Formats: sequence, structure tokens, C-alpha cells
Amino acid sequence: MEDPKHTLAYIRSELLRIETMAGTLSAIEKEHFHQLNRFDQRELADLAVEEQNAARQLNAIRTICLSLSQKIGEMLQEEAGSGTSERGNHEAVH
Amino acid sequence: MRRFIENLLRSAINETVDKAITRAIRDQYGENLFEMLPSGAKTGPINLMEIAMRAHHGVPVPRPLGSPLNFSPWEKILFSPVHLFRFPVPEQVGIDTSVTIGPAAKKPLTVSIPILIAGMSFGGALSKRAKIALARAAALAGTATNTGEAGLLREEREAAGLLIGQYNRGGWLNTPEKYRRLDAIEIQLGQGAQGSAPQRTSAKRIGEDFRKVFGLREGEDAVIHSRLPGVDTKEAFIGLVRRLKDETGVPVGLKIAATHHLEKELQIALEAEVDFVTIDGAEGGTHGGAPILQDDVGLPTLYGIARAAEFLAKKGGTGKVSLLAAGGLVTPGRMLKAIALGADAVYIGTAAIMAMIGDQIVETLPFEPPTSLVVYDGKMTDQLDVEKSAKNLFRFLNACVMEMEAVAVTLGKTSLADIAKSDLCTLDPFIAKAGNSPWNGCSRAAG
Repeated sequence: MEDPKHTLAYIRSELLRIETMAGTLSAIEKEHFHQLNRFDQRELADLAVEEQNAARQLNAIRTICLSLSQKIGEMLQEEAGSGTSERGNHEAVH
Repeated sequence: MRRFIENLLRSAINETVDKAITRAIRDQYGENLFEMLPSGAKTGPINLMEIAMRAHHGVPVPRPLGSPLNFSPWEKILFSPVHLFRFPVPEQVGIDTSVTIGPAAKKPLTVSIPILIAGMSFGGALSKRAKIALARAAALAGTATNTGEAGLLREEREAAGLLIGQYNRGGWLNTPEKYRRLDAIEIQLGQGAQGSAPQRTSAKRIGEDFRKVFGLREGEDAVIHSRLPGVDTKEAFIGLVRRLKDETGVPVGLKIAATHHLEKELQIALEAEVDFVTIDGAEGGTHGGAPILQDDVGLPTLYGIARAAEFLAKKGGTGKVSLLAAGGLVTPGRMLKAIALGADAVYIGTAAIMAMIGDQIVETLPFEPPTSLVVYDGKMTDQLDVEKSAKNLFRFLNACVMEMEAVAVTLGKTSLADIAKSDLCTLDPFIAKAGNSPWNGCSRAAG
């Protein structure tokens, strides 16, 4: 890999984008649940339950994305920290 | 004519009832049928039947689904809604229901709802169709199911999105090619309904599919030992946990029955750096266990969770080591109270089975018990509709979480994980004391 730091930063920004999308979709699915519940039909009621469950799973995706981007953030910080200290050591030697 | 027969019947019934009551009053207890009532009330109908069963079979009666006694007084704890000092959650705001199990593990396990399907083994307890239905329902709901003490059932692994496997005392899942296919590993050293007692499934009950999954020879019994093979010291347990963590990276936890020695057991688990602990209270279910192990052994779920959560908090484990609660959690109210007491997620077994069978109960009644649809050697296992069962359980899980969300709204909490002891009050000063924490005991609050 040419530049792992940039790749990590790219993955992190994409994860944050997925997180936002999951949040938006979750809100839409929840609204669908309320709309489908207005009909007194078994099939639609089942669809409503599935929509609500989808909203929850999208919310779980949000949580996972947040936690992953946090981990990548920590890795990037460590990388930046070790880079600084390596530079520091280098300067001390010379 | 009809009126004549009616009068004749009425007169016959009247005379029979009169004679029966008169005999019941006049006869001495020794020769009186009425004697059955006080003796039945003394022993209770369940004990009465189990006395007769023990007398007939001469061996412990394998009672299904755990103790009928409700040890944990869940009904004495209530949630405290808010109105002004903190505001309820606006209805358009979603409640976060997801939970991460083993957040410190290399590969933590995140589930969409805080309800997991409990360990109920293929073969030892349930049929293949029942296990597939449980796995499908769990996958639909975005949660995990558990293998129970069994080998790795291929169909279950394929149907489950997330599978927690029990590293068990039978040794059937304890090889790398099996446990590396799991999403979390639960080292099973005991359960609420059995303690750490050994169990044996006779070879005569074991079919070919069972033998294959468990790796048994023909004619060999399936034996769950009282100790995990190879783990006879605390150091061996610590070594096992570290090895499994290093090899797999998935959360590795410990499952034990809740007991009065809970803190001592948890201390060792923390030394081993487990990612989660599962506490199975005395109300825990089982396929079939001796009544004495179910009714007279262990610590009730409510106290087990409260003590485990407090111990983890004291040792700095809260938020690092997940606490999973099990045992008698059959209503969303009980599940959420367990979470408020400190559990991160709950396992359901009996309720999941009941929900799964649901309307299929009519297929069995009145001649067979409903469980004959799901137990491994049940007479009607082939009649379980897998798709319908999965849907029933999925809907049940959804309904339970919706009820929990409703309580979260009225508590002013936007996440189920944020619900805590401070959201509870108890009607019983003893329970407040047993919790050893400010549960806003009503007696104290009123004073």
C-alpha cells in the first residue's frame, strides 16, 4: 500500500458518510412503520414490523460505523504521534 | 319428552351431589375422598405428580423448562417516569437499542437489540428445525443466537447472522475448526437450572444427525462433565481464555450459574480478562433437569445481576466487560429491569420457544404437549413450520423491544443502555437493601 495513512483517512471519512446515511435511512424506515400501521391488513402489519426492525439495524450500523471510525481515528493519532517522536529522536541524534 | 328427561337429569344430579356432600361431611378423613384436597394443597399439584413420577421411575424426573418457582420478585420493582425535572423523549426521536458485547475484544460483537437467544443445544434439547427457526428469527432481528452445549450444527451456522458458541463441558465445540467459525465464544461452566452438575443423554435417544454433529460413536452416550476437560485449576482457566482470545479475536466470555460465590468466581474471570460474563439465575430453563437442581440450587436472577453489576463496577469492569443476564426473563418488563440493574443484554430461552410455537400450539393439543414440536425427540418435531416459527419469534422480539422503547421514552432516556438503577423504585425496603444502592426505595422516598 502506497500511503496507509491516507487510506485510513479515506476509510474513516467513508465510514462517517455511511453512518450519516444509515441514520437518515433509519428515520425513513421508522416513518414507513407508522404509515404501514395505518392499514388493518396482516401482510402490511408484517411489513411494518420489518420496516421497524430495519430502522433498528440501520441504527446498529450507525453505532458500528462510529466505533470503527473512532478506532481508525485513534490509529491515525498514534501514527501521527509516533511520526513526531521518531522525528524528535532523529533530530536528537543529529 | 325433552322436559321430562331434563327434570330426570336434574333430579339425579341433585341427589348425587347431596349424597357426596353428606358423605364428605360425615365420613372420617381416613375414608373420605375430600382428603385429597388438603393433602394436595400441602404438597402442591406439581410436587404431588413428581412424587408419583419418582416412585414410578426410581430416578430423578427430568423436568423441562426449569423451576416453576418465581424466585426473583420483579413485580416489586417499578420504573419511574419523568415529566418536568427531566423531560420525556420527544416521540420523533429514535431510541438506540443496539449493544456491543465485548467492546474491548479485537472483534467486538454488535447486536441491534439487547435480547439474545439463549443457549439451547441441538440434540440435547432441541430439534434441528427448531434450531434453524431460532437462528433465522435472530438473524431477522439483527441479534445473536447461541449453540448451547453442542457441536457446530452447519444449518444453524448458515441461518444465524451472529452465532455465540458454547465452549462446553462435553467438548463438542472445543476444536479450532469449530470455534473459529463463531462470532463470540462463551465458556460454559454451569447454568441456572443445573448448577455445574453433570448431564448425560443416553445413546438410545441419540440419532444419526446428533452423533454426527457431536462426533459420537454409535452406542456412545453424550456426557456433559461437571468440569471442563483440562480445566482443573484457576490458572488453566485463565490460560484457556487468553488462548481463545489470541486465536480468534472474537469476544470470549464465561457463563456460570448465579451463586452466593458470584464475586469470587467473577474475580477469576476478570483476572482471565474475559470480554463478557453470562449470569444465569436460578430461574434458568433447561431441556430436562432434576427438580432439586432447579428448585433448591443457585441464586435468583435479580440478585445475581445486581451483585455482578456492582462487582464489575467496583473492579472498574463496567463498560469493558459486558454483563449478559439470563434466567426467567419472560416479559419485556423483566428484561428491561435486568438491563436497568446493570445487564448489557439479556438471553431468553423459554419465552423464545413459547413465542416460536405461538399459534402452532393447536397442532399438538389436546393429546401432546406443545413442546413436542421442538424438543429433539418430540413426537411432532417434523410438523414444526420453520418459516412460521421464525416469523413468530421475530414479531415477538419486535414487540418486546417496542415495549422497552416506550419505557425509555417515559424515562427520558434515548438509549436502552442508559436505563439504570436510578430509573427504578422498589416497593420493598429489603430489595432496596439487597441491591445495596439507591433504588429510590418508595419507603425511603415517602419518608
